[in-house]
Amino acid sequence: MKIKILKKEDLKGLLKEVVKEWNVYAPQRNLGSDLWFETLPKAGQELDQAIENIVLGDVNTVISPKDIFFPQLESCFEFSADSIKETVEFSPKFLLGVRACDLRGILFTDDFYKRNFQDKYYLSRIKDRFIVVKGCIKPPRVTCFCTSAKTGPFADGGFDLQLVESSDAYFVEVGSRKGEEFIKKHEEFFKDPANNVTEIIPQIKSKAAESVELKMDFQKALELMAKDNFIPEENYKRIGERCIYCGGCLYVCPTCTCFNVFDNVKDKSGARLRNWDACVFEGYTRETSGHNPRKEKWQRTSRRYEHKLKYDYMVTGTSGCIGCGRCLSSCPVDIGISKFIQEITEKRKMM
Amino acid sequence: MMKNEYIPYPAIIEEIRREAPDTKTFRLRFKDKKLAETFTYKQGQFMEVSVLGAGEAPISITSSPSRPGFLELTIRAAGMVTKAIHSLNIGDCVYLRGPYGNAFPFEEIKGKNIYFVAGGIGLAPLRSLINLVLDNRKDFKHIKILYGSKSTDELCFKNELELWKSIPDTEVWLTVDKPCDGWGCRVGVVTELWKDTHIDPNNSVSIVCGPPIMMKFVIAKLTESGFSDENIIMTLERYMKCGIGKCGHCNIGEKFVCIDGPVFSFTQVKTLPHKEGVI
Repeated sequence: MKIKILKKEDLKGLLKEVVKEWNVYAPQRNLGSDLWFETLPKAGQELDQAIENIVLGDVNTVISPKDIFFPQLESCFEFSADSIKETVEFSPKFLLGVRACDLRGILFTDDFYKRNFQDKYYLSRIKDRFIVVKGCIKPPRVTCFCTSAKTGPFADGGFDLQLVESSDAYFVEVGSRKGEEFIKKHEEFFKDPANNVTEIIPQIKSKAAESVELKMDFQKALELMAKDNFIPEENYKRIGERCIYCGGCLYVCPTCTCFNVFDNVKDKSGARLRNWDACVFEGYTRETSGHNPRKEKWQRTSRRYEHKLKYDYMVTGTSGCIGCGRCLSSCPVDIGISKFIQEITEKRKMM
Repeated sequence: MMKNEYIPYPAIIEEIRREAPDTKTFRLRFKDKKLAETFTYKQGQFMEVSVLGAGEAPISITSSPSRPGFLELTIRAAGMVTKAIHSLNIGDCVYLRGPYGNAFPFEEIKGKNIYFVAGGIGLAPLRSLINLVLDNRKDFKHIKILYGSKSTDELCFKNELELWKSIPDTEVWLTVDKPCDGWGCRVGVVTELWKDTHIDPNNSVSIVCGPPIMMKFVIAKLTESGFSDENIIMTLERYMKCGIGKCGHCNIGEKFVCIDGPVFSFTQVKTLPHKEGVI
């Protein structure tokens, strides 16, 4: 893999070039203390201020960058009394500072929306996309378990560029032809590294991996889940008693893709919209007749865990959980997939 | 350019027939002439039907692919979209996309006795296959249609039930929970019809559709009568939005009812995780 060096102090200048051609999304701390992927303004003082607010340290965004390609609410088409106008978004998107786990989530979701029928809305949004991964030197959350899920803290591929942070510069790993072209185009910002770089980078990466403290036997969990009815109903019922079914864990999950569809109408025109939905909601499977095949809470809890750890694995060969730890860190009642995995692999009560 | 599966196309209502107090059959034709001429579908598939402003709902096709040129949907006014459709008149426009889903077997069941077992509006999707089979009558052995509904009023396709009866080696057996005066057929649930006619599992296949509780009892009865799981074919109902395996609502285990179904054999149904609610 080709490696370059980008000085931290040069990042600002580089972004000012990039923003001319791309819509740049980067983790920013604009209001409050949370971090969100937001677009950079195109010029002026606003751009300077936004660049100042970019955080590439050991913090991750509240919601994964999935919402850049699969927004919480989006329009499918607009309509009037006798016509339909398709609404498709396809701007060029440059993502800076995607974490390795979240990259896996993006690639997983790409694969889902390409499978069987193609989803034009999603595929249009990702058509022109450049991803710069920022590997985590320390886990952003205590709930991170990427080393167990084998999704981080650094990505093995799938990115255009990956930043490996050292004291005053980033080692830049080039992961695609697009990445190479980008480096070439902006060559004034990228320098050649010293000869010992092939030793230094693995050292940084392994030290980073060692710093992820939460560990579990992820593969064993997938194998156990693959067995028929391995998890007794009682386990799901116990979690179900505690869960408040708010759906938060699914909204923050990088691989959750469920949506609802509805028409929003005013006078004689309107739009068909889709928004995030969650399989833990009672109304998710309720039919018009009132019949609900997943009426009981525990049935929905079972669905939630088995979709991620059993059926996704069965269909794609990889787990639907990417070890980002968001479900646990955002849960008001301390439930998370990592705890579920620990329960079944270590046979101890965690929830 | 990539096709956008979510965009529906306008279709004109050419005919409306009242089947039951809350159920109507709509005969539709795509407004675009080329689309109307090239549109094809298979028995057991469904369409996504929109009334712009009210929303979209999946509705199974009730007409037979052996009678091309139009499309018929039988719709019960139950939710927001179906109620909006019921308020429309001949000449009005709905929006359609599809067809989606797999199909009832046809070639595979030639040379067999066919038992159709339907409850309520469950006869609508079966009617597509019934008319396809009847249009190829010589390819099939004995045909029995067992149909039950809540009341005499709520029996759908009343004229066709009479017509089907008149076809050689084709029997129609009816039952209702609440009969009207002068009702000459059975009273009770659809499995009560086992008392009226012999159900022979040899060289036979059964096709079932109805409300979940009815399906459970019918499958048990068919199994008791000696039908193998493979010869019990059903079409599943599930809350659905997109119809193309994306929105997630009809997901059971790793299957999507909208693209892997809605038609499943009982053998396939048995492999689905029952705790996620199958029928």
